[in-house]
Amino acid sequence: MTIPALGAYEFTPLDGAAAYGDDQLVIVHREDPRLWFCAAATFRAPRAMPFGEFKAAMIDGWCGSDPDYDPAAATDWRVFDEPLDVDPSKTLAELGIGHKALVTFRTP
Amino acid sequence: MTTAVRLCGVDLQETESTRAIVEAIEADNPEITVRHVPGLVKIQSVNPVVIKRESVEARLGRPWETHEFQMAIVSYAGHIAEWDDDEIVIKWEH
Amino acid sequence: MKKLSMRERYNLLTRDLDWTPSYVDPAEVYPFSRYEGIKIHDWDAWEDPFRLTVDAYAKYQAEKDKRLYAVLDSFAQSQGHLGISDASYLNAMKLFLQGVTKLEYAAHRHFAYLARHLDGPGPRFAALCQSLDELRHAQTQIHTLSNYNKYYEGFHSWPKMHDRVWYLSVPKSFFDDAMTAGPFEFLTAISFSFEYLLTNLLFVPFMSGASFNGDLPTMTFGFSAQSDESRHMTLGLEVIKFLLEQDEANVPIVQGWIDKWFWRGHRLNALVAQMMDYMLPKKVMSWKEAFELYFEQQMMQGLFPDLAYYGITPPRHVEHAILEKDIVSHQTYWVLKQFTFAAAFHTWEVDDDSMAWLSAQYPDTFDTYFKPRLLKSREQAANGMHSYFLGLPQLCQVCQIPMLFTEPGDPTTICFRHREYKGETYHMCSDGCQWIFDREPEKYIQAWLPVHQIYLGNCGGPSVPEVLSWYGVEEGVDNHPYEVSPDRKSWDEWHAAAGVAGK
Repeated sequence: MTIPALGAYEFTPLDGAAAYGDDQLVIVHREDPRLWFCAAATFRAPRAMPFGEFKAAMIDGWCGSDPDYDPAAATDWRVFDEPLDVDPSKTLAELGIGHKALVTFRTP
Repeated sequence: MTTAVRLCGVDLQETESTRAIVEAIEADNPEITVRHVPGLVKIQSVNPVVIKRESVEARLGRPWETHEFQMAIVSYAGHIAEWDDDEIVIKWEH
Repeated sequence: MKKLSMRERYNLLTRDLDWTPSYVDPAEVYPFSRYEGIKIHDWDAWEDPFRLTVDAYAKYQAEKDKRLYAVLDSFAQSQGHLGISDASYLNAMKLFLQGVTKLEYAAHRHFAYLARHLDGPGPRFAALCQSLDELRHAQTQIHTLSNYNKYYEGFHSWPKMHDRVWYLSVPKSFFDDAMTAGPFEFLTAISFSFEYLLTNLLFVPFMSGASFNGDLPTMTFGFSAQSDESRHMTLGLEVIKFLLEQDEANVPIVQGWIDKWFWRGHRLNALVAQMMDYMLPKKVMSWKEAFELYFEQQMMQGLFPDLAYYGITPPRHVEHAILEKDIVSHQTYWVLKQFTFAAAFHTWEVDDDSMAWLSAQYPDTFDTYFKPRLLKSREQAANGMHSYFLGLPQLCQVCQIPMLFTEPGDPTTICFRHREYKGETYHMCSDGCQWIFDREPEKYIQAWLPVHQIYLGNCGGPSVPEVLSWYGVEEGVDNHPYEVSPDRKSWDEWHAAAGVAGK
């Protein structure tokens, strides 16, 4: 619907891609029926960061607080429900993981 | 499945000054239910609930204006259909 | 001379003082009341059943204040804080002071604006009274809780925290959304949806919780404010009926607002739900029971059949809200527990008695979905480990709550929704929030989301200690579990068997 307004009503988001320069926000969710982590996590990472480094530094760092987490068992990677081929040498940008993309995986 | 009954009503603070109001409401509205929970008197009715100034005054032993009902009321269910010098009426409209 | 009736007096002292300007176009005097598309043909049709005039208003409000402050003094003089059920209870009141008090002040400001900018004298006067009421509520809340600030942590910096801290952006953005809408949407959002439809789900839990847990000042404040709330409820119901009766064209506009603001209020109430079920040593009732009584029974079975006469239907997504009554409190407490290191209140491990109560109140969900992780958390705590979330969560663009909510009917699967808008991605927690976003995307893309702002370096720095310092949260004092808090230490000392009472 057209937003009723007294004048022009157009805004630039505070947290658009441009605001983060060479970095971007990435959201990561570990599918887990026990829902040990209450929600997905938001990370800030360089677009040029290799996925292997991103996983080790950020995802494993976060999930590691769960004593039942096994980093080697992470599988079934997806970005926005599309299968993701997690070549650890490829960068986030090369893998098509854009600003505020949702990455999911599970540990059986 | 039974159809839910629509109740209107009012919740009052349970204090000495509201005791007379509760008694007046009970006298003037024979079919209501009155429940006491900590700090509150919960009055519910299928029919309109009426609060009459004269009834309250008779039980309070002093003049009482209907504006004073504001000091007693906590919440209500329904619509305030009338509030004048002599009575307050709470009911569902449609 | 015959005394005037209440109705005559009210009319003479309010609407009969009004006039239609002849020296300027009325639309210039009231420039904000047309742009939302709402059509009003006759402002005199506005009914105010309370028929208050300023003299009666001032007299009764002064009386309410006198009674409240007498209780506050008495409680302070008698070291009343030692008689609350447990110091852990006060975390509910920290959340209240940090989350709700500034909303009262915001309401005061906005009703003052309405007291000027509504065309009709009846609603202008009602708005003026409400503006004064809300300022009184803000001030009396501050005074009521200031006594606890002398003895307990977490009460000290609530104005700053409300503007900065992650969980407080939830109530803040809720009210900012309403304040930046037009006058009729604000009235539908706050006077109707908040103060009529959902008021019992915010106020009664906190005030009954106070009563059950020995918090005499807050309970008394609650009763003092509730008598004003009956006028606010009346304004809310009257606004809706007035708009719906003035013109049929208003019906779909009002319906859209009811749909939006029911859902926004429902999401906000997640914080209240967890308070009722987890933060009260002496429980009043479960969130589920409160929701069934105050919403399903009183509103769905009472109010909405009444509004059907005008063509209004129950709010969109209400079925989802009803499904959530069995799960929302548990899911929300879990988030607060995992982020207790970054909060200005404590959470704690759930003991066996509380788990038994939760099992009994939630027979379909607690044991299956929530008890296992609470047990695991307790086990970790016993081994000296906090079960913290070592990162920042994903937030919903609309309600700004961490995306903890699950797919309707499946409490094991987080609900993800997203939207591309003008080249950027936005995430929402539910169909309800997504519908709200899609309706007014240009509004929600403006959101100041705490997590994204931390990552932009706008919250004091990149590290947790820097952010907490910027928040005004005192490390090791305001945050972390109750079990290891200064509040608990103080409480135990003051209640030691052979100890001296008080500080």
